[in-house]
Amino acid sequence: MKKLILLTVVSLFWSATLFAAGTQYNLRVDGLACPFCAYGIEKKLIKTEGVESVSFDLEKGLVLVKAKEGVTLTEAQLKKLVDDAGFTLRSMSEQPL
Amino acid sequence: MRQVYWVGCLCGLLLFSATFQLSAAPVTFNTALPVSKGEGVMRVQAKYLRATGDPGSMNRELTVKALPIVGVWGATSRWTLFGIVPLLDKTMELDMPSGRTKRSVNGLGDVTAMVRYTAYSKDQAGRTFRIAPYAGIEMPTGEDDEQDALGQLPGPLQLGSGAWNPAVGIVTTAQSLKQEWGISTSYKFNNAANGFERGDEARLDLSYHRRVWMGGPADGLPHFLYVGLEGNGVWQGKDRNNGLDDSDSGGTTLYLAPTLQYITRRTVVESAVQLPVAQNLNGNALEQDFIFTLSLRLNY
Repeated sequence: MKKLILLTVVSLFWSATLFAAGTQYNLRVDGLACPFCAYGIEKKLIKTEGVESVSFDLEKGLVLVKAKEGVTLTEAQLKKLVDDAGFTLRSMSEQPL
Repeated sequence: MRQVYWVGCLCGLLLFSATFQLSAAPVTFNTALPVSKGEGVMRVQAKYLRATGDPGSMNRELTVKALPIVGVWGATSRWTLFGIVPLLDKTMELDMPSGRTKRSVNGLGDVTAMVRYTAYSKDQAGRTFRIAPYAGIEMPTGEDDEQDALGQLPGPLQLGSGAWNPAVGIVTTAQSLKQEWGISTSYKFNNAANGFERGDEARLDLSYHRRVWMGGPADGLPHFLYVGLEGNGVWQGKDRNNGLDDSDSGGTTLYLAPTLQYITRRTVVESAVQLPVAQNLNGNALEQDFIFTLSLRLNY
C-alpha cells in the first residue's frame, strides 16, 4: 500500500512538473534574413501574454516560442504577430515541454 | 559668391541619403526591409564631407559636418513613417580681396518627413525580396536668414532652404542570410525661397553586401559582420538665383563606397567612405574629396 501511495504521489508530481513546463511553439517564418530584422518578431512575441521566451534558428528559419503553463497560443494569433512584424508564417507545430 | 552655391547641393545630398537605413541595409541610401507594426528604430549618423577641388581661383575649401537623427515607426507592416532631424555645421573658406575668409554656420537644418509603402514582398526561408516606393517632404525648419560679419550668408550656406521640397523614389532589396542586393532611384524637387532655388536632384544607387562573419550567442540571434560596396550616381540640376541659372552649379557625380557593418539584434554599427570616382560638374562648381559616414541604429 505504501508503494502504491508513493507511486501515485511521484506520478502526480511528475505530471504536474510536465504540465508546469508549458508548451513550445515552433514557427517556420519566411523572410528572416538578419538579426536586426528578426528582433522585430521577438519584440512582438515577448510582449504577448504568457510567452516566456523566444529563440531563433535563422539558418532554418525557425522561431521557437516557449509559453507558460496553461497558456495557449493559436495559429491565427501567431500568424498576426508575424504578419505585423513584416514576415510570413509558413507553418507551425507545438510540443509540450 | 556664386561659387558657394554648390554647398547647398552637397548638404542636400548628405541629408537626403540619410533617410531610410534600417536593417542590414545600404549605408548610403535606402532599404525596403520591414519595420514591425507599432515598433520603432532610431538612427544617429555622423557625416563628414570635404570638398577642396576648386577649378576657380578662389581656393575654396568646404567642410560640412552633419548629424542627422532619424526616427522610424512601423505604422503597419507595410507602411513605415520616417522623421529626419539634421544638425549641421558648414564652413567655407575662400580667398577674397581682403584675404583668406571663413564663413560658417551651425544649427538645426530642414526636417524631413517621409513615408514608405511595401508594395511587393516575397519571403522564403532565410531570404526576402521587397519593393517599396516612398515619398517625403523637406520642411523649412532651418534658419534661412543667418548672417556673419560679411552680411547675410548666401542661400546655400544657410541651414535651411526656406522652401518645401518634395521627393519621391522607389527601392528594391533582395536579402539572404549571406548577402544582400539593393537598388534605389529617387528624385527631389527643390523649390525657390528668398530668390534662391537649389537644382533638383536625381539619384541611382546600387549596393552589394556580403556576410563575412557570424557569431554571438548560440541560442539567440547571431551577430553578423558585413562588408559591402555601394555606388551612387547623383545628378544635380543648376541652381537658380533670382530666376537666373547659376552656371557654376550642378552636374553629375559618381561615388563608390566601401562599407563595413556590424549587426546584432538591437544595434547596427556601420561605416562608409564615399569616394567620388567621376565628377562632371558645371562651370566652377566645387569638386568633392570624400564623404565619411559613421552610423548607429537602435531597435527600441
